[in-house]
Amino acid sequence: MIRNIAGLIITAAAAAVLFAMAPGLDVPEELHGPAGYYVENGLEETGSVNLVTAIVVAYRGMDTLGEVVVLFSASTAVVLILTLIPMATGPSRPSPVVELTARVLPGAISLFGIYVVTHGHLSPGGGFPGGAVVASSFLLVLLGTTGMPGSSRLLTAVESLAGISFGLMGFWGAMILGQFLNSTVIPGGTPGTLVSAGLIPLISLAIGAKVASELSGVFASYRKKGGEA
Amino acid sequence: MNYTAVFYWSLAVTAMGLVLTGIWGVLTRRNVLRIALAFTLADTGVNLLLVWTGFLPGRGAPIMDGTVSSVVDPLPQALVLTSIVIGVAVAALFVVVGVLASRKSGSADVRRMKELKW
Amino acid sequence: MSPELLAAIAGGTGVMMLAAAVAALTVKKLISAIIITGFVSLSASVLFFLMNAPDVAITEASIGAAASTVIFLWGRGRIGGDDQ
Repeated sequence: MIRNIAGLIITAAAAAVLFAMAPGLDVPEELHGPAGYYVENGLEETGSVNLVTAIVVAYRGMDTLGEVVVLFSASTAVVLILTLIPMATGPSRPSPVVELTARVLPGAISLFGIYVVTHGHLSPGGGFPGGAVVASSFLLVLLGTTGMPGSSRLLTAVESLAGISFGLMGFWGAMILGQFLNSTVIPGGTPGTLVSAGLIPLISLAIGAKVASELSGVFASYRKKGGEA
Repeated sequence: MNYTAVFYWSLAVTAMGLVLTGIWGVLTRRNVLRIALAFTLADTGVNLLLVWTGFLPGRGAPIMDGTVSSVVDPLPQALVLTSIVIGVAVAALFVVVGVLASRKSGSADVRRMKELKW
Repeated sequence: MSPELLAAIAGGTGVMMLAAAVAALTVKKLISAIIITGFVSLSASVLFFLMNAPDVAITEASIGAAASTVIFLWGRGRIGGDDQ
């Protein structure tokens, strides 16, 4: 009872703080901050039609590198702790509907995921959502079977290689142009075609491979019994 | 009635309401998985609030293929893209540590997990 | 889309999300709470689309509604039992 009342009081205080920060009652009209620079010069400097991908991969590439490190450490920690938790019963046999779906759909889903990854600079998408979609197709395959998943060493190897190649591409930009993760080391084609925007499609491919293999590794490690690594 | 203003401010009120519901849930719930769910709700609310700060009504999405003349702010969208992926990683870690703690102390009630101090 | 339509969709979705969020924390069964949280993530994806952020909408739909729900369901499978 005391817990509920104290919780309500603290939530009311947080609400007061949040609503005190509301700017005013009229709707803004102009872009403020560095957004104006990105909107004006983003297409010419990087060659990517999708501005959000240009910011994530090229302009703020260092933040993406840090995020890749955070994702790696979190997924490694999850897999490590899962070896300590034994599962009460083994997985039960899935129903025929799930088995049939798991044979038919994963090809189409992973094809869509690869499309989202490779066309990240032309239409909405990029490395992160594409990698998550490919991991979902792996999850569907996992739900349709009862045995152990395939080789988790392959997943770990792909994940490490993708992470290393992201860093190496950044250093390539540093060696040639003097700026880490400069995306114009490869001459860009015309914006709007698949082969354009310099290094951005390759970095999106690395990010997509890394996210897909990481999430797939986390899903696969739920299937193992406790005690195996 | 100015429907654009209603649209604009209802988005902000929804996001703030989700954050406050998440905070209340973390403070008052007893099951450790419910606390993880409340944390995920607060995380979704914060992401909504961040994208809302860059939103200007009447402008298009930040894809410069020549079909729109003015775009919304692309910078909060880039940061929220990263934040969503980190949020699911943190939720996974939260759930796994919560399950481990409930195994060690015998129940999923956070009031019973007092013996985990050093 | 006309401003009245946008205001109606955003307002209706917002009210539904807030009611679902409170419900996810107060229902008895844990599985219902997990599925309702997945539904809140999916509605957040709709709101992201209304705010002209298609990248964020795709990411939230594929990660928040799919991967996060699966993680919680596996955690619930290992804890068992339903509680407040």
